[in-house]
Amino acid sequence: MFSFLLRRLLLTIPLALGVVLIVTISFDLIPGDPAALILGEFGTPESIAQLRTSLGLDRSLPVRFVTYVGEILQGDLGTSIRDRRPVTAILAETLPATALLSAAAFALVLLVGIPLGVTSASRPGTWVDNLVRVASLVGLSMPVFWTGIVFVVIFSVYLGWTPVSGSGTWRHLILPAITLALPSIAVVARMTRSTMLEVLREDFVRTAAAKGVGQRQTLYKHTLRNALIPVVTIMGLQLGQMLGGAVLTETVFAWPGVGRLTVFAVFNRDFILMQGLVLVLALVYLLINLLVDLSYGLIDPRVRYA
Amino acid sequence: MRFRRRLSVLLVVGVLVSGVALAQKTLTIVRPTDPVALEPHLETTAPGSWVYTQILEPLITVNQNMELEGRLATDWEYVDDTRVRFTLRQGVSFHDGTPFNADAVKFTWDRAFNADPPGRWASLASTIDSVEVVDEFTVDFVAKQPFGPMMLTLSMPYTAIVSPTAVESMGEQFSRAPVGTGPFKFVEWRANDRIVLEANDDYWRGRPQLDQVIFRTVPEEGARMLSLRAGEADMVLAPTPSELPSFESDPDFQVIGTAGVGVFYLAFNLDREAVSDVRVRHAIAHAIDRELIVEAILEGGGVLATSVIGEPVFGYKDMRLGELYPYDPERAIELLEEVGYTRGDDGMMRNASGEVLTLEMLPSSGRATKDREIAETLQEFLRQVGIAVNLDIYEWATTFELMRGATLDYDLNSFAWFTTTGDADYTMYVNYLSTELPPASWNRWRYANPQVDEWLVAARESLDQAERARLYGLIQDQLAIDLPAIPLYGSYEVAVLSSDVTGYVAHPIQYILDLYPVDKE
Repeated sequence: MFSFLLRRLLLTIPLALGVVLIVTISFDLIPGDPAALILGEFGTPESIAQLRTSLGLDRSLPVRFVTYVGEILQGDLGTSIRDRRPVTAILAETLPATALLSAAAFALVLLVGIPLGVTSASRPGTWVDNLVRVASLVGLSMPVFWTGIVFVVIFSVYLGWTPVSGSGTWRHLILPAITLALPSIAVVARMTRSTMLEVLREDFVRTAAAKGVGQRQTLYKHTLRNALIPVVTIMGLQLGQMLGGAVLTETVFAWPGVGRLTVFAVFNRDFILMQGLVLVLALVYLLINLLVDLSYGLIDPRVRYA
Repeated sequence: MRFRRRLSVLLVVGVLVSGVALAQKTLTIVRPTDPVALEPHLETTAPGSWVYTQILEPLITVNQNMELEGRLATDWEYVDDTRVRFTLRQGVSFHDGTPFNADAVKFTWDRAFNADPPGRWASLASTIDSVEVVDEFTVDFVAKQPFGPMMLTLSMPYTAIVSPTAVESMGEQFSRAPVGTGPFKFVEWRANDRIVLEANDDYWRGRPQLDQVIFRTVPEEGARMLSLRAGEADMVLAPTPSELPSFESDPDFQVIGTAGVGVFYLAFNLDREAVSDVRVRHAIAHAIDRELIVEAILEGGGVLATSVIGEPVFGYKDMRLGELYPYDPERAIELLEEVGYTRGDDGMMRNASGEVLTLEMLPSSGRATKDREIAETLQEFLRQVGIAVNLDIYEWATTFELMRGATLDYDLNSFAWFTTTGDADYTMYVNYLSTELPPASWNRWRYANPQVDEWLVAARESLDQAERARLYGLIQDQLAIDLPAIPLYGSYEVAVLSSDVTGYVAHPIQYILDLYPVDKE
């Protein structure tokens, strides 16, 4: 277990270097000069060149790469090209908002998605099952942009229960969290249902029922636990996506998160900010995957980490 | 008993205090993007200047009627051809208590020009050679040569004066929490969420009516309009054009707008053989129904353009495009046939070797109102007279780089240009002087007319404003004939406000937002 953890943690180093290298190379490949964009119509070749030098954009690729890696080792992610602030400060403002939204949405997925799947699988073919299946299909097919706006029109404009957009209070969190969670709830409910149906056919389930174990206990303790591994894998991926930036949800609800920041960095060719964002998000993904892998051992004691 | 009495007194005080807090007049404005910074040194876009024009003031400004008005200067006069003397307002203090004087003016300009890197707007004022302090409340601006647009250039919001002590003590942080002399003071900036300003009690024109101004960032246009309907916002900047009629007819809201200084146009690259013949350009002008574009696509988000510069701009003259080039596809076809093209059975124009007349176009996309839709419409208009158009649509950073390249591999290009100073020179000189070629400058059409060159230089150097206006008139008449670009629509600076907001007047220059006279009932 310990050596597994150590190996996985060591693996983050080449991964991080790879990510930084790719972003640095992409800087030379993607058309669009951040200095020219910043100066816009006011830019002259001289002022653009001067700005490029002052921003350190005129250095060669290896120099930029080595300098950046050196900075990272000192806990510095560089200074944003566009607004001249430390990337760490920008991330410190943005990541908490994204973490909060993702946590709220993930809690909904956990509390609604799994029970829906279990309920549906325990009564296959009944109206409950059909309802869950249709609802999850609808949840999956509706574009987030559209659901978001429809929710705003109903709950904010007509009923006045929640704010239209923005952040700051728990009421601001409700609609974006539900909007972000809906497609994931659908995925998790469907996944839980199908793996549950498989496990329900296993001999040990019949044995448990024959021994007189109650239906609820059979479902949640015996069946769900054995059906959980693929569901947890999917949930890990969903959480990674949420943390990686729910661009559309953030846009509709004016939520000040990582997704909008990433789009801003790309459109403005703010490569330094992009490097920092990609690096941090890659590490977050890695961490979630690690947690998912570790959770397999908790769910199924037969799993060994070699 | 005594405790009860105390409690009731406390309650009354509490109610009064909360009542006072409720009575606070807060104006909440929603707009699409967060600024890059809150001062012109780092920020040249409108979302930034909407905020800092409340905090920082220039020496002079232009009002809604495009007339010069004093702000931190009370008087100004030409001492000689290159020197303008400003008398500064006395008794004004910055928000941090620093007194405003000639040293602050000099400090602001030296910082803009000599910092590393210089202010992002500095190239706009590159004709200014130096700023000289005459005495505590007198300052001279010296130009390198006689410069006709001097006063309008100095009235740009970018030239706003900053507190020297605050800049020195705050360093880079100043750009995020600026200190000026304006009617509102900076309070808080939560990135991508909100910027909060409060009334400056000691403002030299008297305290503003509003107690607080909140700028909120709402990127989705539908959500912006909904926040106004739900009462969360009092004012929407950059509203959705198609929703304007429904707000106009609703007594709870008001739509206030004015023609702006921006023009969106279709430009030709005269270096390219296909459009180098003026008759082809005239044919294309006849092929486009400009009125239909304004009515059907812009839906009130723009006005019909009548020149390459907007109507409020100094030097504007109607190019009479409607009379010269009315929408007339038959005439367009005739002109193309005159050039030597023949129309095939499929309706397409072909040259002598049988090749279809095909134009490559680099349109602005996602940058100006409805630019992409307009590009697609233009493609269809031209197809109807037998011209095939290939559209290369990229996101802005790529388009911008291609457009400003030393060579432009496109016949057509669409773009919006704003005359930020309000003076024709700002647009005309860099776009139409034959030597102002990309990548150094903006003559993307490779337009070269010695007569126009002469007029442009004379208009820049003359200090006689009537003579300048006459010269720009001649230039616009000539551009209507040579037609290096077809103006399509002019910008419309519009805001939607809740009906309880009073005193707001739209400004033709999109960078200037004047909230000082605004009040809330």
